[in-house]
Amino acid sequence: MDGPAIEVRGLRKVYRTSITRGRITALDGIDLAVPQGQLFGLLGPNGAGKTTTVKILLGLTHQTEGTARIAGLPVSDPESRRRVGYLPEGHKIPGYLTARQTLSIFGRMSGLDSATIKRRSVELLEKLNIAQWIDVRVKKFSKGMTQRLGLAAALIHSPNVLLLDEPTDGVDPVGRREIRDLLRDEAKNGAAILVNSHLLSEIEMTCDRVAVLRSGKVVAAGRVEELTRQTAKYKVIATAIDDALLAQFHGERVNGHVELSVDDLQQLNAMLDQIRARGGLVSELSPMRSTLEDVFVDLVRA
Amino acid sequence: MKVLVANIEDVMREAAARWTLIAYFLLSTIFIIIFASAINLDIVNGALAGATLFGKEMQMPPDHSISIERLVLGFESGFSVVLYFLCTFLAIFATAHLVPRMQEKGTVDLYLSRPVSRVKLLLSRYVAGLILAGSNVIYLIGSIWLIVMWKTHVVHPRFFLAGAVMLFVIGTLLAFAFAVGVVTSSTAVSIMATYGLFFFGLMLVGHERIAAALSKEWQATMINALYWVIPKTAELGQAVVAYVAGDQVPMRIAAALSPMPFITTAAFGVVCLAAACFLFQRKEF
Repeated sequence: MDGPAIEVRGLRKVYRTSITRGRITALDGIDLAVPQGQLFGLLGPNGAGKTTTVKILLGLTHQTEGTARIAGLPVSDPESRRRVGYLPEGHKIPGYLTARQTLSIFGRMSGLDSATIKRRSVELLEKLNIAQWIDVRVKKFSKGMTQRLGLAAALIHSPNVLLLDEPTDGVDPVGRREIRDLLRDEAKNGAAILVNSHLLSEIEMTCDRVAVLRSGKVVAAGRVEELTRQTAKYKVIATAIDDALLAQFHGERVNGHVELSVDDLQQLNAMLDQIRARGGLVSELSPMRSTLEDVFVDLVRA
Repeated sequence: MKVLVANIEDVMREAAARWTLIAYFLLSTIFIIIFASAINLDIVNGALAGATLFGKEMQMPPDHSISIERLVLGFESGFSVVLYFLCTFLAIFATAHLVPRMQEKGTVDLYLSRPVSRVKLLLSRYVAGLILAGSNVIYLIGSIWLIVMWKTHVVHPRFFLAGAVMLFVIGTLLAFAFAVGVVTSSTAVSIMATYGLFFFGLMLVGHERIAAALSKEWQATMINALYWVIPKTAELGQAVVAYVAGDQVPMRIAAALSPMPFITTAAFGVVCLAAACFLFQRKEF
């Protein structure tokens, strides 16, 4: 397949309120592209337009303007969902079904035959550590187990594109790690994965690229390292850093190390020369990073 | 086909898990048991010597002019009306939730994220609902037919025509319930509106008298117009009896066998189903 697996161009969505006929702009011309094999995080505060974007990609709601394509097909074509797996936030798998029956019904609706459903069901439930619950009704599942089953239902037909809304919601730390590993495996096998989550640490650990939405617009996009890197600030652990050096490079002592601000790499090297000239030894030098949460809060408050 | 099979599996499993299926068939079974124990026929040498219904002795002409075949016809014609109401009511009660439940937040996403068009999904659910209702109609009609055959040794296959008419009415009402369900997402409203439609259809059989009693011309025109639009549940109930009775049908209900009630009712059902598909297709979740 040529082109990105998920492609959104100039997407706008305007909701009309039912009584006053007022207009609410949920999306204001966003552009996104997720190639095969990439884990992409979609971030934003409540009401930023994350869920609307995913719903448009699935044909659950219709865009006012712009185009949305999955695997090159417009999202209005049901065939675009042939190889899409979706895990909605707060999904309600009918409680009267067992895990096996759930995967059978949704597998069949994705066009799988009985033999494939049987094989994939066992395979996925084992991977997600709920194989022993295969014949238990979903109403007896814990939240984390229901989430794992939802993920299995999204993966039953080996999709090329995964749209996941809060995939680790309600899952314990061990389970979260298992889900992260599973998603990385899927991406390694070529799946394009769009994760929509409030758990920024999860996104930071899982995703290759992220986009931050605010009021229906993309306010930042890029690789996680690019967004969190602060090139002008360095952490230095070295001997012979005196107060004069600290004052010269606007440094401060923090938890046993020194944080120094420099204007460019030449200044950084000049600082190292001065440490050595004082007979000091450098044991660590690393660029300081913000957390994704810091970046997110700055962007949202801007 | 896989989508249809998946929906049938889903509908049947839900009916079983929510006790709908058990209640549905239990009520039908109670009716069948009452019917089986209420009828007692005294047949001597292949001729009907006496009969009791609900413990009450039926008046038999002294010359034994009522044949057992005629008695069976009478029983089946009479009970077909009861079955018409019973089957229709139970069917609506057991299937009206199919669309509202599917449209619940968190559930509809799971269905619509599959590579299935919305029209196909809705129609598959409609067929699954009809299969559920049809299985109960077959169970009721078939059981009563077997009981009559066991007690009288009279085989009267025309009785099954009643089931076909009932399924036709259920199909029409279910299409209406689906349209209401798509718009309101409410099981209670779907059930109430569909029962209301059924009773309104019964009332409108007297549309000429109602129209004559109205003071304004536009009101009379509206009542007459509604008669043509709304399913003819009264005429179709008569058609059930007429089909079962065959050439023994009383003159006053023979008119129900005209194609008109079937054509207008079918048109109503098709329009409702088309409207349900159109609205479901456009609906935003």
